[in-house]
Parts: sequence; structure tokens; C-alpha cells
Amino acid sequence: MTGWHLDGAMLRRYVEQTDSLAEGASAEQHLLACAPCRARVNAAVDVIDLAAVWHRTRDAVEVPPPSVFERLLRVAGLPGHEARLVAVASAFRGVWLTGVAAVLAFAALAAAVGHARGLWLFLAVAPVVPCLVVASSYDPRLDPALEPELVTPYPALRLILLRTIAVLALALPTVLLLGLFIPTEEPFAWLLPAVGFVAVVLAASTWVSPLRAAIAVSLAWLGVVGLLEARAGSPVAVLQARAQAGFLAVAVASFLIFLLRRRRLRQLRPWR
Amino acid sequence: MVTASISLRGAGRAFGATRALADVDLDLKPGVTGLLGPNGAGKTTLLRLLATALPPTQGQVSVLEMDPQVPAERTSIRRQLGYQPQEIGFPRGFTAFAFVDYIALLKEWTQPAARHAEVRRVLDLVGLSDLGAKRVRAMSGGQRRRIALAQALLGSPPVLILDEPTTGVDPEQRVTLRTVLAEIARTSIVVLSTHQTEDVAALCERVIVLDRGRVRYDGPVTDLTGQAAGRVWLADEPDPNASVSWRTGTGRYRNVGTRVRDDAEQVEPSLEDAYLLLRAGSAENEPAAEVAS
Repeated sequence: MTGWHLDGAMLRRYVEQTDSLAEGASAEQHLLACAPCRARVNAAVDVIDLAAVWHRTRDAVEVPPPSVFERLLRVAGLPGHEARLVAVASAFRGVWLTGVAAVLAFAALAAAVGHARGLWLFLAVAPVVPCLVVASSYDPRLDPALEPELVTPYPALRLILLRTIAVLALALPTVLLLGLFIPTEEPFAWLLPAVGFVAVVLAASTWVSPLRAAIAVSLAWLGVVGLLEARAGSPVAVLQARAQAGFLAVAVASFLIFLLRRRRLRQLRPWR
Repeated sequence: MVTASISLRGAGRAFGATRALADVDLDLKPGVTGLLGPNGAGKTTLLRLLATALPPTQGQVSVLEMDPQVPAERTSIRRQLGYQPQEIGFPRGFTAFAFVDYIALLKEWTQPAARHAEVRRVLDLVGLSDLGAKRVRAMSGGQRRRIALAQALLGSPPVLILDEPTTGVDPEQRVTLRTVLAEIARTSIVVLSTHQTEDVAALCERVIVLDRGRVRYDGPVTDLTGQAAGRVWLADEPDPNASVSWRTGTGRYRNVGTRVRDDAEQVEPSLEDAYLLLRAGSAENEPAAEVAS
């Protein structure tokens, strides 16, 4: 015995089960050896809800902790349960996301150090990254649990849009940050193409699979950038004001098509 | 109290030019109904129609007095439905608890404490309460089937659609699962497909035999078994005229469909005998149709 006892506030937290895991464990340890404190606990509570204590303990072991991305979504204001639904998509987890980030970082590095093809590489990669991540966040082929998901009451369309917004919220600031290091007068001019490509993928996935649409868009973009590089010696013409207006028009038109055809998305297709 | 029900009227499903299911008329009430049939008979297609995973291309389907073709009613059906697909994948890195918790979120269990308690309840029902924190990819096939069943049991739904729930599950667990399903079926409609006739015999009051997309038998299990009464014989030799004949563990031959020799011993038929007899009859009488899975 050390002469130390649970103070009033700690005892109240222990009884009300609002203490932290560490404090609770410390209190438990002390109570095992201290009869006076046990008596105070007995006096403070009629019956300790052992089931609740057990559930809390099991939660600590079984409930998976939120990922960094899930925590970010919660901070951004998304309710906890929806943050988890968005974050569990394979596109936001592990190897895939690391790979995309690495490709993007290498492209930015090449442009930043003034590599001959560095800017071309960055312009080729940056605008298509968001649409590829969006597509992989809801492509049925990348979702092994699609069948049981499909017959739940949660609206598939809402899930797709939430994941799309999450991708944009995650990818755009990252690429914007990398854009600061790119030696060009228009470091953020690829932003509108990126948003436009996401809208094109959403619209196109009412006909074909999202991943197929994203790959087609990426290849087309790569072709355009490559052609400009070969003919004009620089791909930045694609980011000039007139082209930007074109990307805006494509984005708006694609999103309208998506809204009109939303029930024909691949996941909903059986019931169209 | 309104009794839960499912009805199909002339229901069918085609995939392009291939008809997987045709002209199915069924009424289902609380209890366990077993679906038997060979591979490609249309069992999975029928279960997917009932589970609202697939719309019919012919006829009408009504689940709990609602029409799954109407989006709002389809959502309402899904709130009262548990479905275990034949094949189910698990996202990489998921534990058993995390997977069932994820499906619970999609089933609108938004309150964490209640959701976690429900996830534990269903994992306990399938005998996986101690493995909640284990990664699914490190589990055996039978354990994965039980996780798939657990997610279907969330919320004790009045309609439970199970596609081969006992495949790969060990005998002890199968007995446990039968007990669980029998209890659920006191108030819920449970429809399960299986290749295990002993599961149907032990669990189901009613059996539906599908073959080439059509219903070949629909009735009590005992009546189907009764159709083989007096037509199953044990003999020292196989009968070339029998509908089905195989060597048993004792070295004698079980002949179904006819009596071959005077020394043959008549035995009690099993559901498997009756099913094989029915299948043999279908094969003789019916031309093959253009039917897939």
C-alpha cells in the first residue's frame, strides 16, 4: 500500500465508465488491493454494469481503429459511420494509394529538378490521378463484397458520390501542394482537367465499368499531351485559357449526363 | 400479426438468349425451405431474385407484400432481408468483426454500441465469437462461410436467403447452424440452397427441386422421400437397369429404382435416394433445355 487512493473525480469517472483505458486499468489494479476504496465504489454505485465493462474491453480488442483517412473525413465533418463506409474502399487503403502517391511524387520531382521530360510527365500524370482513384473506389471488379453490399438499404449512389468527393478532397490538395514546386507559370492549370475527367468517368460509368472509363480517359489524355509535346515542343498549350474553358464545359456536361443517367450506374444496372 | 410471405408468379430470368429460370410459381411462408438441384439448375438465380440482387425478366416477384421493381419498396425489402451469396469476397486486411461491422453500417446500424453488440451476437451465433479480431484471409474456408452467414443474420431479418450456407463447414458446426436456422425459421422465411441432402432432411419442412430452370418438385420433404419407398435395394451386384447404383462402404451396392435379384434386401429410402430417383426421371422424360446457372 502506498497511501494513495482514488480521488473523488477519478472514482466518479470509474463508476460512470468515462475514464480512459489506462486510468481504468490503474483504478482496477488499485481496487484489487484497497478495501477502503472498494467500499467507496460500492457506496457510489448500486450495481456495476459488468456487461458494459466487458463490451468496452472487447471494443478495444475487436473494433478496428480508424485509418488516418477516416479520421480526416471525420474532421472534415462527415458522420463517423459514413466516414468508415467511404474509407473502407480499396482505393483508399494500403498498396494502391501508396503506389499512386509514389507515381505522383516522382512526376513532381522530375518536373521540379528540371528534367527534360519532367513537366511533360507531371502534366500527363497529375490530372488523371483523381479520376483513376475515383474509378477504383467504386469499380465492381475491385469490390469483392459487392453482392452483399448490393442488397443492403444504403443507397449505392450516395456511397459513390461520397467516395468521389472524398477522392477529390484527398487528391486535389496533395497534387496542388506538389504543383507549387513545378517550374511553370500555370502550376494549377491542370486542376480543371482533373475535375473534368472525374465528371467524365462518372458519366461514362453509366455505360461501361468505371475503371475502363478511367483508363480510356487517361490514355486519351496521355495521347493529347504526347502529341502536343511532339508537335509544339511543349504540352502546356493544353492548359491555356481556351482549353480551360473547354474542360469546364466538359465537366459541366458530363456531370449533367451523370445526373440524368444515375440509375444506370453499373452497381444499379440490374434494376434499370 | 401479419405473416411474412414471398410469392412468385410465372417468374423467370434470362441472360441474353439463355434462360436460367422459367415459369416459377411459389408461395413461401415462415419456415425452412430447401432448394435442391444439380449445378446449373437455376438455384442461385432464384435466390438472387428473392434477394433483390437481380430483377426477373418474366413474371412477378413479391417479397413481404412489396414489389422489388419499385425502388422505394425494394429499399424497404432490403431493410428486412438477410442474404448470403454463394461466393463472397472479403476486402484485404479486414477482420471478421470489421467485415460484419461494415455490412451492419450498410444496413443502417449507425449507433456504434448497438451495432457492435449486434455484430457480436451474430458472430456468436455462428460460433466465431472468439475470432472477431482475426483477419479473414487467415481463416479457413468454413470459417469464411460462417462470416458470410453472420452478416446475413444481422438484425434477425424476417427473410433469410442463403446460398449453400453449409459448404465447407465441419459436421459439428453444421449441426449448430441447423439449430440456429431452425430457431430463426420459427418467425422468418428461410430459403437455402444446398447440395447436402442430409441438411435438407434434417432442417427443412419443404423442399423444392429445380432442374434446368424449372421446378420439378415442390412439397414436404417426407413426401419426396416417400416417393422412393419400395424402390431402394441393397444387393451384392450393381443393377444395370437401376436408375442409380453405387457401391456403399460395406461393399454392397445400393440400387435405386428397381429390384434386380431375389436376394436383394429392400431398405428405407433416404432423401438422397428420392432426389436421385426424381433426377433420373427428369433426365429420361425431359429434353435438355437451353439453361445456364
